[in-house]
Amino acid sequence: MANKRLGMVIDTKRCIGCHTCAMACKVENNLPDKNWWNRTLTVGGKEMDTPSGTFPNASMSYITLACQHCENPACTKVCPVGATYKREADGVVMQDYDKCIGCRYCMVACPYTGVRVFNWEKPKYQVDFAVGDANVTPHQKHTVEKCMLCTHRLAKGLQPACIEVCTARARHFGDFNDPNSKVSQLLLKRSHFQLLPDKETNPTVYFLT
Amino acid sequence: MNKIEIKTGSQKLIAATAFLTVIGFSLWVYQIVRGLFVSDMRNLSPWGLYITMFMFFVGLSAGGLIIATVPRVFGLKGFKPVSKIAVYLAICCTVLAGLFIVVDLGRPERMWHLLAYSNLGSPLMWDVLVIPTYLIVSTVYLWATLRAEKGKGSEASLKMLSTVALITAILVHSVTAWIFGLQIGRPFWHTSLLAPMFISSALVSGLALTLFVVLILQKVGYLQRDPESKCRMASLLGLFVLVDLFLLFCELITAAYPLGGTEFQVVKTMLTGIFAPMFWIEVLGGLLAAFLLLNTGTQKDNRLVGGASLLAILGIFFKRYQLLLGGFQFPNLTHFSITTGPVAPDAGTWWRGLQGSFIYFPSIFEWSLTIGVVSMGALLLTLGLKYLPLKPAK
Repeated sequence: MANKRLGMVIDTKRCIGCHTCAMACKVENNLPDKNWWNRTLTVGGKEMDTPSGTFPNASMSYITLACQHCENPACTKVCPVGATYKREADGVVMQDYDKCIGCRYCMVACPYTGVRVFNWEKPKYQVDFAVGDANVTPHQKHTVEKCMLCTHRLAKGLQPACIEVCTARARHFGDFNDPNSKVSQLLLKRSHFQLLPDKETNPTVYFLT
Repeated sequence: MNKIEIKTGSQKLIAATAFLTVIGFSLWVYQIVRGLFVSDMRNLSPWGLYITMFMFFVGLSAGGLIIATVPRVFGLKGFKPVSKIAVYLAICCTVLAGLFIVVDLGRPERMWHLLAYSNLGSPLMWDVLVIPTYLIVSTVYLWATLRAEKGKGSEASLKMLSTVALITAILVHSVTAWIFGLQIGRPFWHTSLLAPMFISSALVSGLALTLFVVLILQKVGYLQRDPESKCRMASLLGLFVLVDLFLLFCELITAAYPLGGTEFQVVKTMLTGIFAPMFWIEVLGGLLAAFLLLNTGTQKDNRLVGGASLLAILGIFFKRYQLLLGGFQFPNLTHFSITTGPVAPDAGTWWRGLQGSFIYFPSIFEWSLTIGVVSMGALLLTLGLKYLPLKPAK
């Protein structure tokens, strides 16, 4: 069977910056306090939900940012113990908490500001029971973590949590190696961009304009 | 100074540094238990003072060893009287560099993963291989030098060993530079000039430290005064400082000439922005130090030479610190978003006021632990000077 190239297409014309995808990820993966693997960024002014420019020429849009699951990841090159690696079968860039020695080189190498988070202390949670999926790997102190495309859901044939919950139906997930997949078709039909193309990482996350 | 005074002086020094080392160790244990949260490193600035110190001490070490080995390799009349001290100083600095890495790691108990699951494509892994090699080579070199003084071992084998040591010293600091310089994701670091700059900074800081230690040892009577050798070292240090400033100038003019773009913004931050105090102390201090060291009048004055050496070392520390800070101060994606992870105490303000303030400043804890680790280096140095035959052979 051919290898998959899993990734996402996010329609910036539909995204309303509601943060539901960010919240879904936080709950699904039982993220420790203040850790966010997926975030909504305001493309506009200096504060959240503010535009650039002045009325009547103001402009504002949103992008959501999580691990880009790059084809040429900067992080997997530099991890000295191979705790972060790209899965051959489907291209997901994984994080092995048990191998991680907490050197944080991957955080340094990744050009995408803030997608990798480190547990600077023993993980704390808002509630005293785990939330989200039972099959999520427990979080460890002093290790790096990030979006892993909800591999626990992929294993059950489901899509990542952030894809399912999008209120504006702006998020699409699929296999870029399959020319008939929704994501491949969207790239053919719509103009799109990747973040930070000059960093030569070739992300598998595309934004439709 | 008579021998009894030196003895009690060194005993006090040993006691003080040992005490601070023990405190440092306890702080490290506390950091492991409470978490690296006690530092002020956060998700957007994951490396900080510890890694700066690592860079700094690799430089001090490599520089010292290059100074000690080049004369022998090229058959120059060199700094033979102080070369043993320089090598031992380099060994102490290497140990400290390694300790700073250990102190920075989140899971030091998993250090064995570095050998069990090595990713040979990682520059960090290259350093994990090169630094212990370098430590062994410099220790063997010192041991061979001591043996040669007793008449065993040939001059030829010593010359070969010093060549190996010289190559390893250059390699160790190039590899350390590549940890930063190969990262396309951090434009502030991504320059081919980084490895040459690191070696140049190493020569400055290594020679400056050796010179400073030698002056102190001459003052307390451990070494005999040798004005000619001191003036030679001072001149060489002055030259190294100027070369280092030249490389810095090359970087700046390349970034600034286009008068636009992100690189130009970075230069503005260094010349007139928040990096300016550190930058100008480094540059003007360096020029002043170079003058004091090269001027035939001032280089005779031990206090001025000692002061110039310290100024040079401080300049190199600021250079290392600015390099590290600069990698994180200018994020690639600046759109506003919620912060990931815990934040520094005045969170709302530092995140939103990113334009006008530093993204990271070491916490008091980090400074304290750093002092503890450096004290261990001072302890090792004092013990070595006291119990090893490091004085120049007659």
